[in-house]
Order: sequence, then structure tokens, then C-alpha cells
Amino acid sequence: MTKRLQLRRVLALAVFVCAAFAGLGYRLVDLQVLRHDELAKLAQDNTQREFRQAPRRGDILDARGNLLATSVPVKTVCADPSLIGNQQAIVAHALAPLLQMNEAQLYQKLFPRVSKDEKGETVTNNLHYVRLQKNVTDETWQKVQQAMSQTSFGVDEKKLPESGRVFFRNLRQYAIFADPDQMRVYPNGSLAGQVLGFSGVDEFKLDDRPVSQISGRDGIELALNSALGGVAGWRVTETDRQQHELVALRDEDVQPHDGLNVVLTIDAAVQNILESSLADAMQKHTPASITGIVMRPSTGEILAMVTLPNYDPNKPDTISPDTRNRVITDVVEPGSTFKIVVVSGALNEGVVRLNDQFDCEQGHFAYAGRVLHDHEPFGMLTTEGIITKSSNIGAAKIGIKLGQDKLYDYASDFGFGQRTGISLPGEVGGILHPVKDWTKVSVAQIPMGQGVAVTRLQMLMAMAALANDGWLMRPMLVSCLEDRNGNVVQKYEPQRVRQVVSDSADKEMIEALKTVVSPDGTAAGAAMKNYTVAGKTGTAQKVENGVYVHDKYVASFIGFFPADNPQLCISIVMDEPKEGYYGGQVCGPVFRDVAERCASYLNIPPDSPAPLVANAGNPH
Amino acid sequence: MAGNLKNQSATIRFGPALKALFLCMLIAGSAIGYVWQKNEIYRLSQQIRQDELRLKQMADGNEKLRVKLADLRSPLMLDQRVRELNLGLAPAQPVQVWRLPEPSALPPESNLSARQLAARQGGAPLTQ
Repeated sequence: MTKRLQLRRVLALAVFVCAAFAGLGYRLVDLQVLRHDELAKLAQDNTQREFRQAPRRGDILDARGNLLATSVPVKTVCADPSLIGNQQAIVAHALAPLLQMNEAQLYQKLFPRVSKDEKGETVTNNLHYVRLQKNVTDETWQKVQQAMSQTSFGVDEKKLPESGRVFFRNLRQYAIFADPDQMRVYPNGSLAGQVLGFSGVDEFKLDDRPVSQISGRDGIELALNSALGGVAGWRVTETDRQQHELVALRDEDVQPHDGLNVVLTIDAAVQNILESSLADAMQKHTPASITGIVMRPSTGEILAMVTLPNYDPNKPDTISPDTRNRVITDVVEPGSTFKIVVVSGALNEGVVRLNDQFDCEQGHFAYAGRVLHDHEPFGMLTTEGIITKSSNIGAAKIGIKLGQDKLYDYASDFGFGQRTGISLPGEVGGILHPVKDWTKVSVAQIPMGQGVAVTRLQMLMAMAALANDGWLMRPMLVSCLEDRNGNVVQKYEPQRVRQVVSDSADKEMIEALKTVVSPDGTAAGAAMKNYTVAGKTGTAQKVENGVYVHDKYVASFIGFFPADNPQLCISIVMDEPKEGYYGGQVCGPVFRDVAERCASYLNIPPDSPAPLVANAGNPH
Repeated sequence: MAGNLKNQSATIRFGPALKALFLCMLIAGSAIGYVWQKNEIYRLSQQIRQDELRLKQMADGNEKLRVKLADLRSPLMLDQRVRELNLGLAPAQPVQVWRLPEPSALPPESNLSARQLAARQGGAPLTQ
């Protein structure tokens, strides 16, 4: 009897245990097999996180390795409003002065908010993440942490129950946190601001969190954005409740590929010389704008490029359409500087020689129903004299002799009517109409720099071609791309575009250009003490509402030195100068100032024999 | 029989005991090894985390120093400092620079022709 009872009990127990195991087995199969995908995803979402690893944006350096633009690490300070409870006022009061924010605005931000997304669905992301301030330095962030740990919330936390203590611990430690970020800094302020350009911040969402990324908006920052930007990496890892990474459980870890450093041909010291000289000229002549470029004619390397007014890329409020890089974005009628095109073309074609005489009609020359004028009456002038005195009528007669097809060809070969290909955004090609669109007077007007529109850079490149044995070069602004360790990834070499005029014609043209800075020329003020200068002045009337106005001019001087072994080619252009308006008068002295300072800095050997050793004194 | 039993008990005493001991040590060793390994993983992960943080701090510090250096080398800053300190510095004028001719890389003898050299050294003239 007892045995049977025992057997029954054992059997019942066995059935119960089997049933229990069957139940557990079913549950196991349910969890591990039937709902595996769903539960695995849930588990993964609970613990696994994917972090974006932002690449460091590359630096921009000058030709001597000086830092022109760089990225510095900063913090983006954020809050988790769900951990702040009803302590918004105290937190806002403690943090507002540190974060340089309005206390009332900060107070509002600290409340949990429910918002709607693009689809109109309610989202609660703001419960856990709200951005308070960007570009916060490490020092400030440490002060914020200190403030959060030391602020009194008006209660004795030790006397609170466990839940209260946990709340205040979370509030102090986790309610305010910081995400790593970077900020673009331009250590030289406004120096080369328009060349460097400026950057902005692009924002996108990753895992419902806003992610910011620096991206170029203008200048080199925009033109080489992809090289500077780099490629982001990522890390798949697990986190604890406070979102701290559990390094031991790190899965994928792909490091970011930092952006490349861009090495420019710009020399910060030459840029500073040009900017300071132009700033002085700006004060003296108060033009609407003034531009300057310094270039090596043999390579096309641009050592300095300035437009005033300029901007400081560190201060976005200083950026406006008025501070654009007019060297490449604006076109003007070049005026007399364009005479180099027609005269060098005519010399190259053998149509004229340097000593050929032209009757300059005492300043009035009727042609194709129009009367052309000179700035003063001239009689007979040689070709060289036409350049020296900048005679419009002489240039027009050379243009007529050269013919419109050849004139167009030379203008086109010198690069007018097309972009130079400089690595800056916003360059325009200027206006050079095809011959079929010319009027009868065009062949006489274009040689004196009317009826064409050019950029300052195009005009400089044309003059630089004459300084380079007739070879037109492509302007160079970027020397190479480097990785962070300074290894050159890509090197850019000088590029010849074409030979526009022959060596012999070029030399004759240079002889003529040398006379421009002589006492008889139009730019005696551009002559340097120890160097022979060759150059050309330009004074163009501005056009308003389709007619030339008589009180607004664009004055320019473009020259190079030493004339027989050119090292630098410099362009100075003033838009609507006061206190004089002739190119030689207002731009010539600025050219001389820039050229002498650059020659001293770059140690260019003088070519004028005059006072070399006699006045040198003892170098020791 | 008794002798056999005695012999059997003697063999049982060491063999299985050693095996059991070995098994126990193996299990205990594995357990300790597992715990040690986990502990090492945790310790090393903490170390990696600290090293990464330190590396980040040093890289950040380096960046700040680079910017500081760039500030100090900035032509604008240098100009400003020269003016502030009234140093009266100015670039040398070309007339103040005394240029010396570069000395010739070759000794004066090299100006002589190969034939002259050979004659001076008493050797035969160089021929093709």
C-alpha cells in the first residue's frame, strides 16, 4: 500500500517535473528560436551602441608651414532633461554665466519636451537630449562640471531616501554632459581671409542624435572641402546604464581617416606686407575697394592675394557680399593695361617694330563714327612711346594694323574670356565677345581696354606671361596635400598653358614696359631704387547705366621686377580712388612699397648697379 | 582472498585518488583561469580606456600648443609686438645688404683643360 502510494507520488512528481521541463523547453525554443530575431534585436538595442568617430579636418598651411587654418577640439554641452526633475531654475542659474547664455532661455531648454517630426509623429527625443551650447572650451567644461557638483539644491541630500539620493547623484553626474566636437580657427585673423574662405557646420541625425560636421563655405575651405574633410570612422560597442562604453565588449572599431593638410603657395609674410600696404593706400585714397596680387611669373605661384575690405573668418558677422574676393569674382574694363595685349601681339606678328612711328593726332582721332581721345595730346610717337605715354590713339592704330581676327586671337591666347583655373570657387571668365559680335569701332576700342571685361587675376596672368618669356602659366594656389605626419600625398607642379608671344617679341615688349616707370612714363612713382621695373598703368572709366561716367575710375598698375630676370609680378587695382585717379599716380607708389618690402623679405638680388657696395658699410 | 582485497585496496587508494585530485585541480584551475582571464580583460579594457583618454588629452593639448605657436609666429602678431615694444625693427634695405660672390666649387686647376692637366702631371694626353 505504502509502496503503491510512493510509486504514485514519484510518478506524479515525474509528470510534474516532465511538464515543467517541457514548459521550460517550449519557452526556450520560443525565446531562442521562434522569437530569436525580435529578441536579439531588442537585446542588442538595449546594450549595443554605434558611435560615429569624427575625422579631424585638415589644416591649411602657407608655403613656409605657418598655420593659416586649423581645427581645435571643443565640447558641445548637452543636457538630459529627464534627469533634471524640477531643478531647472537652479541649474540654469549656475550654468548660464559659464556657457554665456541667457538664463531664461537656458531655463526653457532644460524642460523635457515632446516634439513632432517631419511626418507629424510625436517624438520624445528631447526628453533625453538637448543641446545647450557649442564650441565650449575644455576649461569652461571643467567649470561646468565643478558647478554641477558643488551647486546646492536646497535640500540635505544625506537625509533623503535612497531614491532621492539617486536622483541628485544622477542630476550632478549625468544630467549635463558634453559631446566631443571641433571648431575651425584661423590664427592669423583676417590675413588671407578671402583666400582661405570660411567654414560652417552641417548637421544631420545619427541614431536620433544631431551630429555636426564642419564644411567649407568659401575659398580654399570650399574648393578642397573633400580633401580637408576626411572620412568618418565608427565604433560598435556596448554601454552601461549611464551610456559609458564597456571597452571589453567593443566590437567593430574603424578609426576615422583624418582630412589632409593643404599647403598653399601663399606666403604669410608676403600676404601681410601686401595687406598692410593696401590698408595704408585704402586710408589715403579711400577707394570703394582695393585689390593686390603678388605672383612668381615663372611658376604661376601666388604668394599673396588681397581684397580690401576683407573679413576675419573667425568672425562670421564680418562676412558680407562687400568682402568678396574681387580678384576673381568681379570684372572691370582693364583700361590701358590691356595695351600690352595688342602691342605684344603686333610685335610678335611683325606688324610693327618698337621704333615704328605713329601719328597720335594731337589727342583726337575719329574712327568708325567715334572720336577717340588721349589723356593729353601727342604728336608722333614710336611703338615704345605709345606704351611709355599710354596713348589710346596709338594703341588703337596698332590694333587696326593688327586686324580684328589677330587681336581676338591674342586676347584669347592671353587667357581673356575664360577662367584661369585657379583653385578657388566663384571665379568668372570675363567678357571677350567673338569677332562676329564686334562693332566697327571695336578693333580700335579694345586695344585701349574698352569693350572687354576682365578679372584682376586674368590681367595679372597676361602681364606675368610677358615676364615669363611669353609663356602663360596656370595660376597656382595649392602647392601640395599632406597627411598629418607631413608626408606629401599629392604634389602640384607649375603648369604652362601656352606660349603666347615669342622670346624676341617678349624682350622687345619688356624694353617698352621698362620705360613706363621712367620719368617720362606714366608711372614714375613705381620705380624702385635698386631694381629695374617693367609695368603698365591703367585708368579705366567706370560704366554706369551703359555710359561712361567721368568721376569714377578703376586705377591700376601691374608690373614685375627685376625686369630682365623677373622674380615677382605684382598687381595693384583701386576701384574709385579719391585724391587722384590715374593708375600710375595712385597705384604706382603702392606697387613700389609692396615690391621693395617683398624684395627685402625674399632676398631678391638687386639688378640696378647703382649703390650696391659703396653705401653698404661693414656688414659686421 | 584477504590478500587480494588488501592488494586491491592498495591500488584503489592512489590511482583514482590521483585522478580525482587531478580532475579537481583541472576544474579548479580552469575556474581560476577563467576568473583571472575575465579579470585581465576587465583590467586591460580599463587600461585601454585610460590610455585612449590620455592619448586624446595629449592630442588635444598638442593642438592647443600648435595654435598657440601659430599665434606667436603670425606676421600680424609679430608686427604688433614690434610696435608695442617699440623695437624699431625694420627690414634691411637692399643697400644695406652686402652680397659676396659665391666661391667657385672647383679649384683653379680645374679651369685648365684635360690635356694641360695631363701634361703638368707628366702623363699621356687623354685620347679617345
